[in-house]
Amino acid sequence: MKNTKVFFGVGTAVVVVVALVVIVLKFAGGSLDVVGKQSITTFGTILQTIPENVEADDVNGGYALAAPDGSVRFIWSTDYSKSAVHDVMLELDAKPFIDAGLDAGKLPENYAAYEDKLMVGTKLGDDALTYGGEAAPLAAYEKIVEKYRSNINYHTALDHYGVMLGDGNMFEWAKDLSTNSTTGEAQDKDIVFVLNPLPLVAAGVNPEQVEGWAYAQVPTDDGDVWKLLKPFDLK
Amino acid sequence: MENRILSIRGMTCAACAQRIERTVRKLTGISQANVNIASEKLFVEYDAAVLDLPSIKEAITKIGYEVVEKTDSQKVTIPIGGMTCAACAQRVEKAIKNLNGVESVSVNFATEKATVAYFPHTVRQPAIREAIEKAGYKALEINKTDAADEDRARKQKEIRTLWTKFTVSAVFSLPLLYIAMAPMIKVVKLPFPAGLDPMQFSLIYALAELLLVIPVIGVGYRFYTVGFKALIQRSPNMDSLIAIGTTAAVLYSLYNTFQIAGGNFAAVESLYFETAGVIITLILLGKSLEAVSKGRTNEAIKKLMGLAPKTAIILQDGVETEIPIEAVEVGDIIIVKPGAKIPVDGAVTDGHTAIDESMLTGESMPVDKKAGDAVYAASLNTTGTIQFRAEKVGGDTALAQIIKLVEDAQGSKAPIAAFADKVSGVFVPVVCLIALAAGIAWFIGTGGDLKFSLTIFISVLVIACPCALGLATPTAIMVGTGKGAENGILIKGGEALETAHKINTIVFDKTGTITEGKPAVTDVLTVQAMGADTLLQLTASAEKGSEHPLGQAIVAGAQDKGLELLRADSFLSLTGRGIEAQIGGRSVLAGNRKLMEERGISLSALEAESDRLAGEGKTPMYVAADGSLAGIVAVADVMKASSRAAIESLHKMGIEAAMITGDNKKTADAIAAQVGIDKVLAEVLPQDKSNEVKKLQSEGRTVAMVGDGINDAPALAQADIGIAIGSGTDVAMESADIVLMRSDLMDVPTAINLSKRTIRNIRQNLFWAFGYNVLGIPIAAGVLFLFGGPLLNPIFAAAAMSLSSVSVLTNALRLKRFKAAT
Repeated sequence: MKNTKVFFGVGTAVVVVVALVVIVLKFAGGSLDVVGKQSITTFGTILQTIPENVEADDVNGGYALAAPDGSVRFIWSTDYSKSAVHDVMLELDAKPFIDAGLDAGKLPENYAAYEDKLMVGTKLGDDALTYGGEAAPLAAYEKIVEKYRSNINYHTALDHYGVMLGDGNMFEWAKDLSTNSTTGEAQDKDIVFVLNPLPLVAAGVNPEQVEGWAYAQVPTDDGDVWKLLKPFDLK
Repeated sequence: MENRILSIRGMTCAACAQRIERTVRKLTGISQANVNIASEKLFVEYDAAVLDLPSIKEAITKIGYEVVEKTDSQKVTIPIGGMTCAACAQRVEKAIKNLNGVESVSVNFATEKATVAYFPHTVRQPAIREAIEKAGYKALEINKTDAADEDRARKQKEIRTLWTKFTVSAVFSLPLLYIAMAPMIKVVKLPFPAGLDPMQFSLIYALAELLLVIPVIGVGYRFYTVGFKALIQRSPNMDSLIAIGTTAAVLYSLYNTFQIAGGNFAAVESLYFETAGVIITLILLGKSLEAVSKGRTNEAIKKLMGLAPKTAIILQDGVETEIPIEAVEVGDIIIVKPGAKIPVDGAVTDGHTAIDESMLTGESMPVDKKAGDAVYAASLNTTGTIQFRAEKVGGDTALAQIIKLVEDAQGSKAPIAAFADKVSGVFVPVVCLIALAAGIAWFIGTGGDLKFSLTIFISVLVIACPCALGLATPTAIMVGTGKGAENGILIKGGEALETAHKINTIVFDKTGTITEGKPAVTDVLTVQAMGADTLLQLTASAEKGSEHPLGQAIVAGAQDKGLELLRADSFLSLTGRGIEAQIGGRSVLAGNRKLMEERGISLSALEAESDRLAGEGKTPMYVAADGSLAGIVAVADVMKASSRAAIESLHKMGIEAAMITGDNKKTADAIAAQVGIDKVLAEVLPQDKSNEVKKLQSEGRTVAMVGDGINDAPALAQADIGIAIGSGTDVAMESADIVLMRSDLMDVPTAINLSKRTIRNIRQNLFWAFGYNVLGIPIAAGVLFLFGGPLLNPIFAAAAMSLSSVSVLTNALRLKRFKAAT
């Protein structure tokens, strides 16, 4: 009798647990990784919002999303086995940094300087990526989520998703373009190019004098950190 | 309409019966009141909605009669399973009380027993058990034969179950707490699985917490089944508070889990699964510690119960047979070898030995026993083999009676508990209202911050602790009365324990209390031509029929001298004065001054000698033969070794000591001076002793009377506290509020000291229990936060709540360190 009660109790608990998990999963659209899944959706929204700024980048073997002013691009590879230096990266105009004191020879390895551009990013892996159909921009982004989920970030304080480009550099976009804020307060930061100022400072840059970039503290889960930011409002 | 039959004492004639009938009939709600003078019983029919039994009893007592508590009702003690707090005890009490035919009920949360006095012709035990079950608790079996073992086994099983539940709960809630807290700790980077990062894998994180909290809720399911059931029946208890608080936390967290699943990742910061899990774990920890501590509070009774041997060797047809103790019958001849325990009460028929009765009396010296001497169950035979005849078995043995007395005392309530009981009764609903009000107020005050107001709501529910209130008094009484029993001091109830600490005057009976009660002849003085031996022979012959200790001392004195006792043709005992006898045609009077004066006998010839003897503390007994004074036989009693020290101890406690005696003033003064008595009440007739006590009470004193419990019964009853000293006989046990098993007067200050310590302990417990709630609830409600202070986390509230019960129990257990006065 007692055993029956125990079995009944445990059985009920198991049923409740399974039912709850199933319902929650159903609610989450079948994926446990709701952050990763939603980052795809919202990245797609960004691409659709400024389609004219999205283009194939044959040099880097992927796609590039250019800032509305063209001063900076976020580039992501379609095949990591073919990309030479970085799989995800930022390409930015070098002039504002040179004007602010940059000595390109002092930049760390993840930086590359050529002509009037600076490149900063990271190698995700050596995977030869294959696609069901065409290696479209969003499909290429989905591969990052699928293969290198740890490089996708949700920035709670700003309600942003982001791709981590290594060494504190990031490309971020708003989860919701209409609110673009966890507090409900409107912010003109639909996409943000983020640089870690420390290597640049070490290379002679005065971060407060980089034209077109804001040197500001950004709230993170680990506290406020100084960043060089270039935000854009796409609306 | 209720029908009751009450036994009345003190009626002497039909007029008394009529008076009682008239008095009772005057009460509103009475439909019938008939007194049967022959059976001394009152049959009463009344409307229970407008009148209760205590009011009827009070009316009868007021006009000078005594209503005997033990009417035709029966008493049963039912062990109850499943009670988790004082409110549960109240609930069971209410359920039983609602039954027609239940005279009184007292449910002790600490012992987990219900003591029910009921009228078997109206209600039967199964109905009482059913009422307990219906209220949601278990009415456990009453096993009289092996109650100690069963009770112990049940308690141990309960403790084991609680520890298992706590362990399971901790196994799940510790990782739950870790994954909830580690990401928040910024000072040190604690290792944390990346796949559970709350910001990056919010849903996995929430589901992990959910999966960890469900087993915890599973092991704490009783909080929900009992708590919500009680809530539905509109008598919420502590379980209800836990159930509401943790359910609110879990439901809110579930809501936020769905929010996360829907894409609102910020909701990950509003998960409270760990709060619910840790609260349940901490409460289970508290309950486990509480069960262990509660078990220790009635160790004394367990020790007593474990004293009796389980078998006895009886002599059957010349053959020694070992039989179970339950099979021993009155009249059986039992053999007890050295080192074995006496199985039942009886009288030695053969052999002699020394028996260690310390387990019953606290007296460490073994007592010599020979044929004819009484032996008691559970005492230890030390030296020789004896045979004895069983006279009292089973529940009739002195040990069984002591156990019953201690159990009854432990089950009783002290008046000081009344307020705590009242508060416990309304505590939970009031706390629910406070929690709700505080939650709503903060919700409005913070402009709709549901997360904040929920924290307040849960904290208030969880910090409120009715357990501490419910445990404050009974645990201290249990330890106090148990400690008393260990020292040979049987305190008959919580009320006696409470009153004893207020005592400021103690009246001691002289003979047998201050003195050993074994007087001996010291002087024989004559005035006629009669020789001393003749006077002693004549007096002893007259006293032969007397049961008075002085008379017996004179008889023993004559026998020691080898004097032959003459046959008395007639004998008349003159209470409080002496005796009168006819011996060989001579009329003999032996007694005090009053007797001689009544009979017109001149005492002038020996007045000076009488005064001298009295001044030496001796009792001079005048003897008159044929109407004229023949001489004085003086008798003196030996002072108990402990009398002086005991009275000194009482003085140090600020208690005045009085001595009451039938002796003449001078003798009494002399004895009083020897032991340090402050007030002497001499030449008091036995029937006037209670009046003397009453006089002292009318002066505003709280009076205890110490006597042997037989002659002093009226005074013992009149006193605020009656203390029977000595034998532990049935009479002594029934007449007194406190029974001292030894004849050592030092047990009197010990008993009063124990009472003072216990009451102080109860007050401390109540202070902590009330103080804890009075302070804890406002803090949990955010009063400090309102003024810039900290906000109480529900987890800390749960920890504090668990600790409150444990601290009250630990404080009560401090009484175990009580040491008797030496």
